[in-house]
Amino acid sequence: MVDAASPGALDGVRVLDFCRLGFGSQATMILGCLGAEVIRVESTTRPDPIRVMPPFVPEPGEVGKGFGGATLAQAQKMQSPNRGGIFYKYNTGGKRSIAVDARNPAGLDVLRRLVEQSDVVTESFAAGTLARWGLGYETLRELRPDIIYVSMCGYGHVGPDAHYVTMGPTAQALTGLTHLVGLPDREPAGWSFSYLDHVGGYLGAFGVLTALAYRRATGEGQHVDVSQLEPATALGGALLLDRTVNGRSSRRAGFPPGNRRGGAPQGAYRALGDDRWVVISCSTEAHWQAFVAALGHPTWTADARFATLASRVENADELDAFVAAWAATRDRYDVMELLQRAGVPAGAVQDAADRVERDPQLAARGHFTTLASTEVGELPLEGVPFEMSETPPRTGGTIHRGPPDLGEDCDAILRDVLDLSDAEIAGLHEAGALQ
Amino acid sequence: MSTGAGALGGLRVVELVDEPVEYCGRLLAGLGADVVKLEPSDGAPSRHAGPYVDGRDGDLDASLNYWHFNVGKRSVVVRDDDTIRRICASADVVIHTLRAGEAAARGLDHEALAVQNPAVISCAITPFGLTGPWSGYLADDLVLMALGGSMAVCGYGTDDPPLACWGDQAWLTAATYGAIAVLAALEHRDRTGEGQLIDVSAHQASASMTEWHVMTYLCTGSPMARFRHPTVTARDGKQVAALIPDFLGPHVFAHLLTLLEADGVAGPLSDPAFEDPRHRARGYGELMAATQRLAERHDGEELFRLGQEAGLPWGVIRAPDEALDDRHLIARGHFVDIDGVTHSGAPILANGSPFRFDRPPPRLGEHTDEVLTELEQRA
Repeated sequence: MVDAASPGALDGVRVLDFCRLGFGSQATMILGCLGAEVIRVESTTRPDPIRVMPPFVPEPGEVGKGFGGATLAQAQKMQSPNRGGIFYKYNTGGKRSIAVDARNPAGLDVLRRLVEQSDVVTESFAAGTLARWGLGYETLRELRPDIIYVSMCGYGHVGPDAHYVTMGPTAQALTGLTHLVGLPDREPAGWSFSYLDHVGGYLGAFGVLTALAYRRATGEGQHVDVSQLEPATALGGALLLDRTVNGRSSRRAGFPPGNRRGGAPQGAYRALGDDRWVVISCSTEAHWQAFVAALGHPTWTADARFATLASRVENADELDAFVAAWAATRDRYDVMELLQRAGVPAGAVQDAADRVERDPQLAARGHFTTLASTEVGELPLEGVPFEMSETPPRTGGTIHRGPPDLGEDCDAILRDVLDLSDAEIAGLHEAGALQ
Repeated sequence: MSTGAGALGGLRVVELVDEPVEYCGRLLAGLGADVVKLEPSDGAPSRHAGPYVDGRDGDLDASLNYWHFNVGKRSVVVRDDDTIRRICASADVVIHTLRAGEAAARGLDHEALAVQNPAVISCAITPFGLTGPWSGYLADDLVLMALGGSMAVCGYGTDDPPLACWGDQAWLTAATYGAIAVLAALEHRDRTGEGQLIDVSAHQASASMTEWHVMTYLCTGSPMARFRHPTVTARDGKQVAALIPDFLGPHVFAHLLTLLEADGVAGPLSDPAFEDPRHRARGYGELMAATQRLAERHDGEELFRLGQEAGLPWGVIRAPDEALDDRHLIARGHFVDIDGVTHSGAPILANGSPFRFDRPPPRLGEHTDEVLTELEQRA
């Protein structure tokens, strides 16, 4: 039976987390939701850029500005590192935060002692950064012989271009994911966000879990080198094999085919409202029959051009014109409900507001969990998209809290994990080690 | 790279899936698990999807789509649910795509499997999860990308439709989360002996992959519009994602200026006024225009490397197969030869436990006799 006291799958696993931005933090967020204790190591003088990047969580009564609505200069003037909105997307899972200056000898000593007490060290700096601080993999192993070290950076730690840097759109361009979003024979539209920050993060979590399994079997730790490129090469499906087996490139006329996937009608159709759309996707004869019945057998559906799946695909543009005219006067959710009840795959094109305010499925599944963070208060936040019957994932982690304010758990971590006295902690603060 | 035993060596995984989530089993196979794929006598749906090996269209053993997602697995043709139940009950992990009602009707729900094998881990990957008002609804990847939110923000702008990425990105994300959840459940099982049911929602997976959109809505009260990420066009016509992430610090503009001045195309950016980030924010169009002038002097691959050598996160927009020629991926040993065919390999590089495929993609039913014999021997 599951109750509030149910264990997390990763109960007792401690992760010392040096990750910043999205990619690495996505990985440790997953681990935190699964019950791991995640300690974010941060710096007050060089905060994680997503802590000071717009959009900002507004003060009560204030209207926030979107990304691009504020400049770096405005960001630098910010008094607080706790209002950067995107930070709250990537740092659920009950992460705690400690600020440590790795360049201060006493600070470095704190980090070394934390490594000794940790199962996993994660980081997303450029290759070589931790080593320059005196925390390279060999040192980590000396401190904790079975340490699991998972590095996550654009090009990984080895290889001729390991000094290259990526953001999501960079990696998406290089691995072909950008190319795969677009209408036929136009320049790629690409993704307007960093899909590969997420994918890279999933594989980072996969790497940690793989290493934990290996450690259970052998007692040994390891270094897992996660780049932002390798996690993406399998996402184009058979396109790679089409080249290695058939010599055919996916840089060719008519590809990618927009939203068409081999069926018809299939795509996004304008619905009632301003920039409102609904997806209808008939890929089988059964879908088409159900679609025709749901619409009440309008005469155009009996057109000979639409008699078979093959002929519908062949005349998809003509068919789309009829479907578009039908959808244009209807509410996107009404279309979805009508067609779904009839057995046709269909769905409203939902934006973020729809998902938070309207989507009954996300609400029923508890997709958003309202959690409080110290400075910004309560926000509806996301965790992992699955449930587990015996070890339920928790978006607030084992401490049921929103993402941490910068350095807010400093003293608690030093007390709980390193068993330091109040006097020792005060001494470290005085020495400037904890900033 | 390690050549030793995989992290999941000895683990028995059974895969019974109709939806495109075979990537989950592929990931576990790479870690050394024995992944047995159960197929109907006319083959899994993925065998019926192309592209095929040229000249073998429709040949169920020649679907490259099947090859890609099923490399490293064994294939067993099963004709009755009784055999399916016996095979599933003997496994450590069962991955399936059955809705709640269907699983129960066929005696393949977690409760039924756990009666015979309390340590079994069931991983159900379904469009909307096993519960909730939409749990009976139908979805392919297009529907999942619409409801999840990616489509609303990807495309050319409001004159053109919202676009979903080609392929099954929502399903692949759900499959990846399935593998993560299975690994977590194994951690718990090894500690307690207890199995459990994992319930992955592809809709939630799709909704949670959209980066800044929910937070932007929560912060500003408005959802973000659909837009195309800016690019520049190189001399050879290739598009290059020439990112200028000024928000990361003043070093970004300094790197860019060095690059532009070396080619004599900095123009107004050499004006010291651009040292002020507020001035740069107002003059962002000038930054992009100068970068476009630079782009016209170089081919795409060259421009991306010039940017990277200057410390900028630039990337040329390649077709997926063009990554095969990337010197860095090649040097990292990413592409692997399996029976004379080059596949994409390990998604992570581990120096202890390897990620590798020990078997080529199986022919339909290739391992039926072998697996059924093993089953009898264990009984």
